[in-house]
Amino acid sequence: MVTHILFESASGYAIFEVKLQDALGSSSKALQESIEDLGKFGKMVNLLSFSPFKSAAHALENANDISEGILNETLESLLELNLSKPNKKSKVVLGVWDPPLASAIKAALGFQCDTDETTKDLIRGIRLHAPKLLKGLQADDLTKAQLGLGHSYSRAKLKFNVNRIDNMII
Amino acid sequence: GRGGARGGSNVVLEPHKHPGIFIAKGKDSLLVTKNLVPGEAVYGEKRISIEGGVEGTKIEYRVWNPFRSKLAAGVLGGMDHIFIEPGKKVLYLGAASGTSVSHVADIVGPEGVVYAVEFSPRSGRDLIGMAKKRTNVIPIVEDARTPQKYRMLVSAVDVIFADVAQPDQARIVVLNAEYFLKNGGHVVISIKASCIDSTASPEAVFAQEVDYLRKQKFKPIEQVTLEPYERDHAMVSAVYQRHK
Repeated sequence: MVTHILFESASGYAIFEVKLQDALGSSSKALQESIEDLGKFGKMVNLLSFSPFKSAAHALENANDISEGILNETLESLLELNLSKPNKKSKVVLGVWDPPLASAIKAALGFQCDTDETTKDLIRGIRLHAPKLLKGLQADDLTKAQLGLGHSYSRAKLKFNVNRIDNMII
Repeated sequence: GRGGARGGSNVVLEPHKHPGIFIAKGKDSLLVTKNLVPGEAVYGEKRISIEGGVEGTKIEYRVWNPFRSKLAAGVLGGMDHIFIEPGKKVLYLGAASGTSVSHVADIVGPEGVVYAVEFSPRSGRDLIGMAKKRTNVIPIVEDARTPQKYRMLVSAVDVIFADVAQPDQARIVVLNAEYFLKNGGHVVISIKASCIDSTASPEAVFAQEVDYLRKQKFKPIEQVTLEPYERDHAMVSAVYQRHK
C-alpha cells in the first residue's frame, strides 16, 4: 500500500504522507466525495515537506526534467532527505503519477514506487486542494507560478523546436 | 472600420443565458464578450463600447464570430450549458492562435484561469503573444496527448474544452480528464466528423465518440449541430464521474 506521495507543482515539489489507508483503493462514490472534501482529505494525507523552487530558471529546469520523466539532482536529494532508506523494516512505497519517473526513482534510490489508481486518486486530491495543502503559499501564488512557468516553458519549446520552419520565410 | 458594428445609444446590451456572454442588440444582434483588455482587439475583431450603469462611463465588448469560433457556434447553436462561466478554471485543448481562447478568457474573467494547450509552434507563438496581455491565460506549447509533460503547469479544472481536430480526440480528452478534471466536472467537445472517420456518416461518428466517452467515466449531457456555421460538426458535453 502506498505510504507517500510525490506532487510536482509549478511552485515546487511536495511530499505527502498517506494516512487512513484502509479507506483507499475502492472506486466508490464515498471515496470520491471524501477526496473532494478538504476536511476529510486532510485526514487522508499530511504534508511532510514542501520545497519551493529557488528561481524561475530553477523551476523551468525542473519542469523540463519532469516532463521528460528524468530524476534530477534536486528531486533526488529531496527524496533522499525526506524518505528513510529502504531496508527490511522500512515500508516506504512512494506514489508517483508518471511511470518513467517512478522507474528512475526506483533505480536511483531503491524506493518501491506505485502508479496505480489509488495513487492517481490521491494526486488528484492534492491537485484539487493544492493551494490549501502546500503550506506557505497564498491563494493565488500557485496560479502566478503556473503563469510564469507556462510562458517560459512554452517559449523554450518554440526556441528549441527543430521542426520550426518560420525562419525559412525571409 | 466603416460600416461595421458601432456602439452608441442605439445599441442595447443584454445578458445571454450563459453567464459572462452578452448580446449587443442594434441593427443586428451580435454575440459579444466583455473585453478583459479594453482598447485592444486580439485578431482584428470589432469592438463595441456601450454605456455602463454610471453616467458617461462605457464598457467595451468584443464581437464573437460564430463562423470563426466553434464555441460561439455552439452557444448560438443552442447548447443549454457550456459550463465556462466567470471564475471557472478551464483547460482548453487545441488553443490554436488563441482567438477563441481570448473570448473564453473574457468570459471567465480575472477570477478565472484558462490553461491553453497548443502543439503547433507557429500557432503557439501567437498564443503566447495573446496571453501576455491576458494574464488569466496560461499558454502551454505542448502535445495534448501527453498531459504528463505539462502536469506541473495545471491545477484541477472545472471544465475541459476540446477542439483538437484529431482522430483520437476523445482519447486525448479522457487522458487529460484523468489528470486535471474535477470529479463532477464537465467536458465540452467540438467534433469534426471528417477528422475522425471520413467514410462513416457524421451521425455515426458522433455516436461513436459519445459512446467512447460513456465507457470512460463520462455521462453524456447534450449534443448540438454546429450548422449553419460549420458543416458536419457537433458539439457534445458530458460530466465526469470517477466512481463506479
